[in-house]
Amino acid sequence: MSTANEDQVSRRRFEREKAARQEAERLLEEKSRALYLANEKLNAYSEELEKAVLERTADMRRALQKAEAAAATRSRFLATMSHEIRTPLGGLLGMIDLVYGDETNPETREYLEYAKTSGQALKRIVNDVLDFSKMEAGAFQFENEKVDIRALISSVVGLAGGNLGSGESRIRESISSSVPKLFLGDATRIRQVISNLVSNAVRYSTDGPIEVRAFSTRHEKGALLRVELEDHGIGISPELEETLFKDFSQIQNRLTAAAQGTGLGLAISKQIIEGINGTIGVDSVLEEGSTFWFEIPVEVIESVPSKTTGKSDLSKADRRSVAGVRILLAEDNPINQKLILTFLKRMKAEVELAENGAVAVRKFAPNTFDLLLMDVAMPEMDGLEAIRTLRELYPAEDIPPIVLLTAHVMEAIHQESKGVGVARVLSKPISYDDLEAGISEVLELHQSETPSTRGVEAPSPAKADVIDMMSADVAKQLLDAMPKADLLAIVEEFISDSRRLLGEILAHQNNQNAALVAQSAHSLKGSSGSLGFPRISDAAKEIEGGITELSSERISQLCQAIHDDLSLLDQAFGKQA
Amino acid sequence: MKGVVFVELLSMAESAFGEDVVDNVLDKADLENGGAYTTVGNYPCEELVKIVQAFSDHSGLSPEVLQRKFGHWMMEFFAQHYGGFFEGKEGSLEMLEAVDGEIHVEVRKLYPDAELPRFDARRVNDTELELLYSSPRPLVEFCHGLIEACVDRFGESGSIDIDPTVKPGNKNSTMFNIKLNEQ
Ligand code: HEM
Repeated sequence: MSTANEDQVSRRRFEREKAARQEAERLLEEKSRALYLANEKLNAYSEELEKAVLERTADMRRALQKAEAAAATRSRFLATMSHEIRTPLGGLLGMIDLVYGDETNPETREYLEYAKTSGQALKRIVNDVLDFSKMEAGAFQFENEKVDIRALISSVVGLAGGNLGSGESRIRESISSSVPKLFLGDATRIRQVISNLVSNAVRYSTDGPIEVRAFSTRHEKGALLRVELEDHGIGISPELEETLFKDFSQIQNRLTAAAQGTGLGLAISKQIIEGINGTIGVDSVLEEGSTFWFEIPVEVIESVPSKTTGKSDLSKADRRSVAGVRILLAEDNPINQKLILTFLKRMKAEVELAENGAVAVRKFAPNTFDLLLMDVAMPEMDGLEAIRTLRELYPAEDIPPIVLLTAHVMEAIHQESKGVGVARVLSKPISYDDLEAGISEVLELHQSETPSTRGVEAPSPAKADVIDMMSADVAKQLLDAMPKADLLAIVEEFISDSRRLLGEILAHQNNQNAALVAQSAHSLKGSSGSLGFPRISDAAKEIEGGITELSSERISQLCQAIHDDLSLLDQAFGKQA
Repeated sequence: MKGVVFVELLSMAESAFGEDVVDNVLDKADLENGGAYTTVGNYPCEELVKIVQAFSDHSGLSPEVLQRKFGHWMMEFFAQHYGGFFEGKEGSLEMLEAVDGEIHVEVRKLYPDAELPRFDARRVNDTELELLYSSPRPLVEFCHGLIEACVDRFGESGSIDIDPTVKPGNKNSTMFNIKLNEQ
């Protein structure tokens, strides 16, 4: 009985357990179904998301490609257009200059003056538009070269005064002795700003004196240069003040703005000044006059101003004469040939013409020329190529300063020209005055850089700077081993040798001969290392080690850095002159 | 109420009265699903009360006593399966203080449908705790058992009194006064 009972009990228990299990299984089924559905939903979401991301990415890529294509087209268009417009414009203006010079009939001369003024206005507008577009495209790069602000201001003032036509200039210069004699900056751009402010002042204040002032104060970078331009014109209303520095696309009433002729000049000046970390502004009182000013931090090279007080030595009247200077001109365009030849002859320079780069290389010989004037775009061999070839063929001291002429606006040219060692880039179309000023400034600087006492080894106090530029331990070792004069002679030799090697690197790089680039970089690395110029040797090392991987931009960057260092060394030597 | 509570109640009954008795009692009790419970299910709390009543009828022990015993049983179960909650606690009072803000919080994360009570704890001093238990379910003695077992677990002793004078506003609340003996 008890067994039957036990059987019965276990059946009930079994039934109950079974029911519980079924219930559990049902619940599990339910849960996993819910899970499955949730999972499905999640998958659908993530698929959708993925699709959306892919679509979005594709959209963005398309947009980017479109934008890039548009930007490329635009800058190509700009480069072409500027070239196409500037070249004939230059011809036109130059010819007017020539005719004007020979013309004696006052009436015709007057017409020619009008023609010239209009042409110059057109040139200014073309340049402004190009500059502005370049800035917008972010393609604006700033140079770091030696700037003599006194010379720069007087040459700007000289030109503006000449524009007035009436003998006496009403522009006064007062440049404080606190302003450094030489500093590092972008001379072309600073000149552009000053000249813009000066020409505005001349245009908008019909009477009363105009004063250009400059002074400088201490700054962490070296000095803070402030240039002010005061006129006694009609002044500017506060409302106008606000829009003054904007380009006309930003101004409500564009037509008025254009008619007033403010154009893009101030907007460009603002971009330039801000691009070199400065500030620009105006303080104005209506009916009394305005003072435009800008402040830029600059790195001082030489702080003591020259002893010739007052007018700078480079003002139009007494700038260094170009007469008798022997110039090799490489230029292919027949009109430009004629124009520049005539200009140079008028300056009484002795000119030898080469119709392209290859001819220039053939005609060149050491000690035959004081200056090379080189066009960039030429058939057969372009200007940069010709310079590179010359640098390969001759040691640095045998090559006179080189002035590059270009109608290309693209900054790449400026960049590249730095790499091959060019004293100045002048942009075409060029006026008689600009050409003369450019050449004479370059000659002036070159002369002060090349000590006439070359070879006579008297260790002057200034030369201590050179030693300071070497790493301290190496300098000490070397000085223990030899007299200072000998060391300085070695360093000087090193500089010219390094320039030659740098030229080689660039030339080989241009011919894409990696092995030779590495070879030249290797020697440079060695010599700079043992003389204790680690920056140069590091750069050379990077070139040598990475020649196959490095981008050509990086290589030209490195070359530029080496070049800059060599220039600093040169300056240290130049100081004794 | 979670199935695990039912399954454990039946386990306790089996160990106390034997399987046959449990089967018989379940058969006689009027239960919705014939007394088949699974830990993964959820069942009405009234069923639990019915089962306790049925065992009370069978054994002559009061439902209160049975609930209290079940509280001890469940504390043992928690300690075995969820030992982590006990670690790091200095004593029973600290453990009891942690139920509302820590332990049951974790329970609710895992089972959003859990029916949990509320505890408001006030520490009188080192050895004394006032614990106000609030729940719509008639499980005061089950809670009492849990508290007793909790004190035992930490090797402590003392008195656990229900203060009948404290019924603050809510008839679902019960005040436990827990006084530990000095050690
Ligand atoms: C001393 C410590 C504890 C006390 C006093 C306590 C108290 C209670 C009480 C009285 C209930 C019944 C529900 C109600 O009255 O409304 C309950 C339910 C519950 N407690 Fe605790 N508890 C404690 C510790 C724990 C621990 C350590 C766990 C482990 C995870 C836990 C998990 C649960 C679960 C799962 C329920 C059932 C919820 C439901 O059925 O929906 N408790 N607790």
